[in-house]
Amino acid sequence: MSDHATDFVGDVCVAIREAIATKIPGARVEVTGGGGHYSIDVVSPEFGGKSMLASQRLVYGAITHLMTGERPPVHAVDRLTTKGA
Amino acid sequence: MPLSERQRADFERRVHAHDVVLFMKGNRRFPQCGFSATVVGILDKLAASYETVNILEDPTLRDGMKEFSSWPTFPQLYVKGEFVGGCDIVKDMYASGELETKLGVERRAVVAPRVTVSAAAAKAFMEAASEAAGDVLRLEIDEQYNSDLHLAPKADGDIEVQSAGVTLYVGRASAARADGIAIDFVKASSGMAFKIDNPNEPPRVKPIQPNALKAMLDAGSIELFDVRPDGERKMASIAQAKPLDADGQRALLALDKRTPIALHCHHGMRSRAAGEELLREGFTNVYNLEGGIEAWSRDVDAKVSRY
Repeated sequence: MSDHATDFVGDVCVAIREAIATKIPGARVEVTGGGGHYSIDVVSPEFGGKSMLASQRLVYGAITHLMTGERPPVHAVDRLTTKGA
Repeated sequence: MPLSERQRADFERRVHAHDVVLFMKGNRRFPQCGFSATVVGILDKLAASYETVNILEDPTLRDGMKEFSSWPTFPQLYVKGEFVGGCDIVKDMYASGELETKLGVERRAVVAPRVTVSAAAAKAFMEAASEAAGDVLRLEIDEQYNSDLHLAPKADGDIEVQSAGVTLYVGRASAARADGIAIDFVKASSGMAFKIDNPNEPPRVKPIQPNALKAMLDAGSIELFDVRPDGERKMASIAQAKPLDADGQRALLALDKRTPIALHCHHGMRSRAAGEELLREGFTNVYNLEGGIEAWSRDVDAKVSRY
């Protein structure tokens, strides 16, 4: 499925999900995709009252390490939605 | 990796290099990713003077900006040294008119679209609205002409239009795409549903599920063509499908351009591309069998072998 060059070993979807769940405890996280491109939907009361910028930053902050470097496992987030529970 | 003070100072300087700086993949004339292209398109429409920085040319800059902005994707828009957001946020702000304020340009004057609401649709709206305290009926139409009719609080920049006694709020960015639409309330397979006819919508390849296609074929209301080569056709084929070989192509092109035509391949990718080509030829009613012959075998006829 993936012809995306990365040195990452393991299931990227799981890695994304766990990174977000660690940063935002209790969040409902759904990740789909592959080949470097992923869609992420997160539901958490944390987003209530937060702007879209602040909400997305919270999620992106959790997975920055998966998106930086020479050959990162996550090349692009095609869709990111954040919903207050 | 945390940024050094020197790097931080360098990025500060870069984001202040111009009032509006877009860090993107590619440049203004040749964006190299869809998200960057979208933001360039929006900035161009607002005729804002802006500068772009191609982060693909400099891996250090690319990784550094992710850290600096706490934002690991591109594009990244900065206005007066302040991080505004990525593609989704810029699109949202453009839709609401907030982006003009941010950029310090005049708000576009938006002409109210002409909308026709049928009596049946008006009745359904009133009923729905009576249960939704404080919410208004909103309509948004995205760039792919997908309509989204929903009850929600009025959004900043919404344009108020009236028809058949119904007040509808059209998102600012949708106004031009909504001009001339007709909204009706009709019987659909899943019960009653709103139906939106949009004269602005360019024809596109419509997805069709195996069972729906079967019903149309049985009713003789659609022509099905198989875009796969002979070799694949020998492995599995749908009885009603005509091969799109030289003869098939001649037959197809001789059809009235409004004839409903469905195309299929193995999984639905090649036939979709072929469908786009038919639209360019002027056909207006083109369907793509979603999931191809594989889905047909699964949903309609298990005797068709899967390969």
